[in-house]
Amino acid sequence: MNRPGNGKDLNEGGEFQSPSLERLVRSLNRLPGLGRKSATRLALHLVAGSERTTVPAEELVAAIGEARDKVTNCERCGAITEPDPCRVCTSERRDTSLICIVATPIDVLPFEKAGFYRGRYFVLGGLLSPLDGVRAQDLPFGKLQDRIAEDEIKEVIIALDASVEGETTALYIQRLLEGRNLELTRLATGIPVGGALAYTDEVTLQRAFQFRRTF
Amino acid sequence: MRIVSASVDGFRNLKTASFTFSPRVNLVLGRNGEGKTNLLEALNYFALGRSHRGAKSDELIHFDQSHLHVGLDIEEESGATLACEYGLGRDGGRRLRVDGEALRRRADLVGRLATVFFNPDSIRLVRGGPDGRRQFVDQGMAEIDPVFLTHLTAFQRALKQKNGLLRDLKKGLTDLSTTRRELAAWNRELAGHAAAVCLGRWQYASFLTPFSNESHKSLTDNDLQLDFSYAPRLESVSKAISEAAENPISKDDLEREILAELDYIMDSEIRRGRPLIGPQLDDFKVVLEGVDLRVYGSQGETRTAAIAMILARSDVLFQKRQIRPVLFFDDIFSELDRERTRRLQEMASHLHQVFIATARRDDIADWQPEHMKTWQVNDGEFSEI
Repeated sequence: MNRPGNGKDLNEGGEFQSPSLERLVRSLNRLPGLGRKSATRLALHLVAGSERTTVPAEELVAAIGEARDKVTNCERCGAITEPDPCRVCTSERRDTSLICIVATPIDVLPFEKAGFYRGRYFVLGGLLSPLDGVRAQDLPFGKLQDRIAEDEIKEVIIALDASVEGETTALYIQRLLEGRNLELTRLATGIPVGGALAYTDEVTLQRAFQFRRTF
Repeated sequence: MRIVSASVDGFRNLKTASFTFSPRVNLVLGRNGEGKTNLLEALNYFALGRSHRGAKSDELIHFDQSHLHVGLDIEEESGATLACEYGLGRDGGRRLRVDGEALRRRADLVGRLATVFFNPDSIRLVRGGPDGRRQFVDQGMAEIDPVFLTHLTAFQRALKQKNGLLRDLKKGLTDLSTTRRELAAWNRELAGHAAAVCLGRWQYASFLTPFSNESHKSLTDNDLQLDFSYAPRLESVSKAISEAAENPISKDDLEREILAELDYIMDSEIRRGRPLIGPQLDDFKVVLEGVDLRVYGSQGETRTAAIAMILARSDVLFQKRQIRPVLFFDDIFSELDRERTRRLQEMASHLHQVFIATARRDDIADWQPEHMKTWQVNDGEFSEI
């Protein structure tokens, strides 16, 4: 494939005349949700923009470094936090008999943003998915059981994805906690608030219908 | 549904051309390799979002062009016309549009253009392995019940996961104590979807049988009974179905029975390192007056039965969803005797809209249906005659 004029040999080392810029673009490109084009735009913005538009690169580097040093997963619930244990786990205004099981630290954020939930969390860090190498032994189910016993939990709320993996993980937890004196609940599925009925997919509609309420 | 007109540019060997189709019978004549099937493939691509022959984009694009473009005007059941188009590029680019609006996902295509396709491979429906029959039924049921499709997709996903877990266990990557409980969770997830899949397949076979039997009688001069019936792999499902007349099936009960059956076989599955039973092994019987055509059918019998099943699929779609699909018959008359050919033509004259490709002029020599348009194709160039 080394015929002259096939273009390959013309831009050796990438599209830039700078291996370091190429390296930066490749690093940014590996971030989630960032394609090659956006990565290039960001990289150029960071190193070659005018002084007025550029975020000082040193500031960014420092911010990343500091956040990396200080942010951690709460040793009790697994949420992303700086104080450890996190504020939710140490707050005296939280109902300690209530625990909400979520898959990832990000899943805590919508609950906290909405602000209605008064209990605590337990982050699994993933869902059962042997195809991705995640099996029961890889998730903190033992820790979950200890936590439920120690805190004298009265209600466990399962808030996992409505996917095959989320459902199976919920079923696993249900079996795991069977026989304990506590209430086990799951989030309902249905039509989103403000959503148009006409554009609701058939399965969501069927679920919403199945679990309809008396008015 | 009807395809009113089409324009084709850069598709396989087809020369750039525009077509205005007959609302009823469209006949494409030409020797093998001239481009008959290619036109049918170009039209049917929009129904599936892919080639029905499984061809990649690169193979579909004319050899000296960098992209292809096909436009279709589709008349919906409501009478409204939809302008649909798709384009494929050698760089892997793909655009599908309906009334100028881009479709993002293949799922958005479902139901835009309903088609039923017969080609010589369709006899595998009768003579081939169970996977072809499962696919035929699953697609047919998915067309009339989107909830079925969701369960089928979830079932397949959960089965893959369970398969992965059993494989890991056999390789010693995971330990048995936690895995039993984990397998039980996968079985519970599977059982719910399996119950829906099995019930859907059973229902679809029962929808199909009266129509395929009727079509079969119209195609032949005999009065033999053609039965298409569900042959589930799970005993719990066979039992529930055999007792369904006296004891209507409840999905929840069936789910429980399936789960018990899956759990019962868990130890064997652990030993063998793979799932051993389930709807993934289902089959369907095609029986002509007591004779299993899967094994004992003659060439003519299997072909006639396959045609009857394809026609029945279109009837079920109309009965359940009031949608009349566009039919494609590619090389359908070969190996049918003169009488059956005549009878099939008589039936085709009354179909909603049909596209027929044939290499043999003799087969259609005496056929003069109303509203027929005929094209002759030579080396990718179509001329209306």
